[in-house]
Amino acid sequence: MATDSTTWQLRCTVNGRPIEAEVEPDETLLFFLRDKLGLTGTKGSCLEGECGSCTVIVDGRALNSCLVLCPQMQGRRIETIEGLANGDKLHVLQDKFLASGAAQCGYCTPGLIMAAKALLDQNPNPTEQEFFEGMEGNICRCTGYAAICEAIRSAVQQWK
Amino acid sequence: MRNGDSTHQEPQAIKASPPLRTEPLVEPSSTPYKELPKGPVGRSERRIDGPEKVLGTALYGADLFFGKADYFAQVVRSEKAHALIRSIETGDALRMPGVVAVYTAKDMPGTNRQGLIHRDHPVLAEDRVLYRGDGVAIVVAESERAVRRGRDAVKVLYEELPVVADFDDALAEDAPRLHPDGNIMGGKRIRKGDADAALSASDVIVSETFVTQTVDHAFLDIEAGIACWDGHLLTLHVSGQWAHEERRLTALALGLPMEAVRIITPATGGAFGGREDLSMQVYLGMVALKHPGKTIAMRYSREESMRARHKRHAMRIHYTIGAMRDGTLTAAKITVYSNEGAYASTGPAVLRKAASHATGPLRIPNVYVDVYGVYTNNNPTGAMRGFGACQMAIAYNGMMDRLAERLGMDRADLWKQNLIHSGDAVTTGQIIPIATAVECLDAALRQYRAKKQHDRPLAPHERRGWGISVICFGLGYGDGFPDASRATVRLTPAGRLEVYTGGVEYGQGLLNMAGQVAAEELGMPFSLVDVIWADTGRTQESGSSSATRQTYFTGNAVKIAASELREQVLDIASKLLPVHPHELDLHDGKAVGRFNPSLVVPMAKLIEEGRKRGYSLEASGIFKPRTVCEDFDTGQSPRSFITYLFGSHIAQVVVDMETGEVRVERYVACHDVGKAINPQSVAGQMIGGATQGIGMALMEEVVMDGGVMRNANFTDYILPTFRDVPTIETIILENDDPGGPFGARGIGEPPLIAATPAVLSAIGNAIGVAPHTTPCNPQRVWELLYPDDAQTPYAARLTTAPPHALLSK
Ligand code: FES
Ligand code: FES
Repeated sequence: MATDSTTWQLRCTVNGRPIEAEVEPDETLLFFLRDKLGLTGTKGSCLEGECGSCTVIVDGRALNSCLVLCPQMQGRRIETIEGLANGDKLHVLQDKFLASGAAQCGYCTPGLIMAAKALLDQNPNPTEQEFFEGMEGNICRCTGYAAICEAIRSAVQQWK
Repeated sequence: MRNGDSTHQEPQAIKASPPLRTEPLVEPSSTPYKELPKGPVGRSERRIDGPEKVLGTALYGADLFFGKADYFAQVVRSEKAHALIRSIETGDALRMPGVVAVYTAKDMPGTNRQGLIHRDHPVLAEDRVLYRGDGVAIVVAESERAVRRGRDAVKVLYEELPVVADFDDALAEDAPRLHPDGNIMGGKRIRKGDADAALSASDVIVSETFVTQTVDHAFLDIEAGIACWDGHLLTLHVSGQWAHEERRLTALALGLPMEAVRIITPATGGAFGGREDLSMQVYLGMVALKHPGKTIAMRYSREESMRARHKRHAMRIHYTIGAMRDGTLTAAKITVYSNEGAYASTGPAVLRKAASHATGPLRIPNVYVDVYGVYTNNNPTGAMRGFGACQMAIAYNGMMDRLAERLGMDRADLWKQNLIHSGDAVTTGQIIPIATAVECLDAALRQYRAKKQHDRPLAPHERRGWGISVICFGLGYGDGFPDASRATVRLTPAGRLEVYTGGVEYGQGLLNMAGQVAAEELGMPFSLVDVIWADTGRTQESGSSSATRQTYFTGNAVKIAASELREQVLDIASKLLPVHPHELDLHDGKAVGRFNPSLVVPMAKLIEEGRKRGYSLEASGIFKPRTVCEDFDTGQSPRSFITYLFGSHIAQVVVDMETGEVRVERYVACHDVGKAINPQSVAGQMIGGATQGIGMALMEEVVMDGGVMRNANFTDYILPTFRDVPTIETIILENDDPGGPFGARGIGEPPLIAATPAVLSAIGNAIGVAPHTTPCNPQRVWELLYPDDAQTPYAARLTTAPPHALLSK
């Protein structure tokens, strides 16, 4: 719709904070969060929707931010890893990831935590099948997934 | 430099006593681990760098751009696998809005050479490109958008040369010469006994050719970084695996004195060997030198990362093994061709590792090994987790399956009959004082049999099978390489314990290892430990984070430093208490009387007192064990590696005979790590390594086609996901290594090495035909099942005979 030189006026909320910004129409949400807002907790890796490193939550649903363009975010509620902890207090998923050793290099971690949060927010007690469906879009090259499953399972027990 | 170690005495056959443990100290399970009630060593302390990783505040290379970069740079990469460069036209690019400069090889101030072993790789191509991914020019611009446009506008005119696509092309008579000395990069041999004579005297001989694939490291954190030159110092924030070596190589390539370069390693998202070669350090450094005071940023896309980086060696392994009718191995004769790609990278080290690990933990009196590295117009191949040893493990494990089938013997029995015991020698002639291959195999078998689950009933088109692997791994570079780690520990006025190491943490758990060792030695709570790492401006060289060496090397260096600091602290305490230092212990952040526990001084008081009295409260340690170069003609050495690691895996798979799909259903991994300094981290390495090994067995493959990589992205390069990995049951054996810190050996690579052959063995057991080519993806399984007609459906085949007869050769 827009040509290269047209910029967009984007309004949305990020971690509860209202945001108003000029964006290029072909700018991805990932780029916007990281390079415009400085929220570098959201990671890019494959940049084509295959790894889940860039997962954020938009209106309650997990999305690969490398695949969505800023104009699609008009009026949306965006949550990123930076919005999870409450001051010094880790979110239960963050705490369990730490306790289970689910973060090795940690590059996949923010995306995994956001994907798990979206899953548990919608379905606090997922079956194994639902668990896999919610999480299989996220790749971890280091851990072999066991510790991640363990972390999410123990978070389930404390999910409110 | 070679360490001619003439004083070294060959160790006598030392039998370890008391009897070696075959039972883990902790109950096997995937996670979590029960902790042993001691100091921090042996406890699953939470990761020091964990909080910032779960909060998303850890800063990786690409996270440093924000608000910092003045200019962005990008590399123009070769689109040809083999060509002469006729001209590089930069005019169009320079006219692009925002583009600041374009640089080529002639702008490079130094040697323009990189390469960890041979400096054979031009950072920017001079007159020729040798693979599709070679750097040709660098574009600098004010924004990332502009730099991309500028990069696309650079026109390189090539004169194409014939492409050397693989081994056979490279070895052909009329093959184009890729390097001045020809297409054979180098070789390595082992000669032990008389393999030919022993083979002809054997009752049974089995031969097979194994073909292993090219593998990508596929770490998630794509190469990215920033650099700045202030007129005196070039500061680079780029991930690597050996900051001090990266400093040396960058300085050389740029013609700077080493002191003028500082490497600061940011948080690093995986490496697995893929960050051992330089990535963008010299590119960034060169641009920074041309634009003093500006901060230059650069990041690769996933495609560029995969196209530029070195890979795991694809190997073709011709293996012949002989045995007597009772199963005793007599001889092995092995020839390996290894695809080196365009440049040497760490290839020579990989070839040496392959040769010295050609027969793994098997006791074979007569061995003949030739390993050749062959240049091609593919990506250079070099370091990757398990380098050389993992390809050979596929081969020797595969041979044991074939031999068991041929002899009609139980696989486990055949293994046990031929595994080295403590005091036996491996292929290089090195005697292994504590060899626990049998113990690992026993523990894995016991776990597998004891917990044999209720396997789900199979559908008619499915087959189930299980497989064994047993491996060994000599840790470190060994082979006479002057390998060393240094560390410094320091007690701060604020009462904290600082540990300085040049080693790189990329997820494997180095920081906890170093911190827990130091805290144990000084009796400090782990919560008071800080680790400062991989900054050439603040830390001393600790060698590379590779070859499973950091626990042993840096762990020892930290322990040496900490025990010296401990003496200082005890000395201070003895000034405050009426006892000799030997009568004091450090415990829980206090000095305590050994015989009179009411004598107590807290650490804070000791530090305060020490500062008053002029103690340095700081100590350094260096760990530099000697290894002995393998003999050039025979490959023999009394001590090629500082110590050996052993492991055994068991995999159970279900194969769909209609689709060729393989599912790993159950998995047991057992490793002897000497001492698990952090059991959770050890288990994490075991499970993560096994997962990469499963990936190598079943799906991962860089597809090269006439020098063109067909799958330089995560859509087509398939990685293991949540669904591909079963619960991996881990068993950690702890038979102390006398030279390791608190008895620890290490764990990084062995889990990957053991995993691939275990899965292949299980597939062979399930379908009755032993695999020889990796990855064993559905198509390859299908080809194994139906070699004549890959189109015939399985149902039609069932009417004749089920495919079987492993190794009718
Ligand atoms: S970076 Fe978005 S899915 Fe991989
Ligand atoms: S912890 Fe490294 S990719 Fe998951």
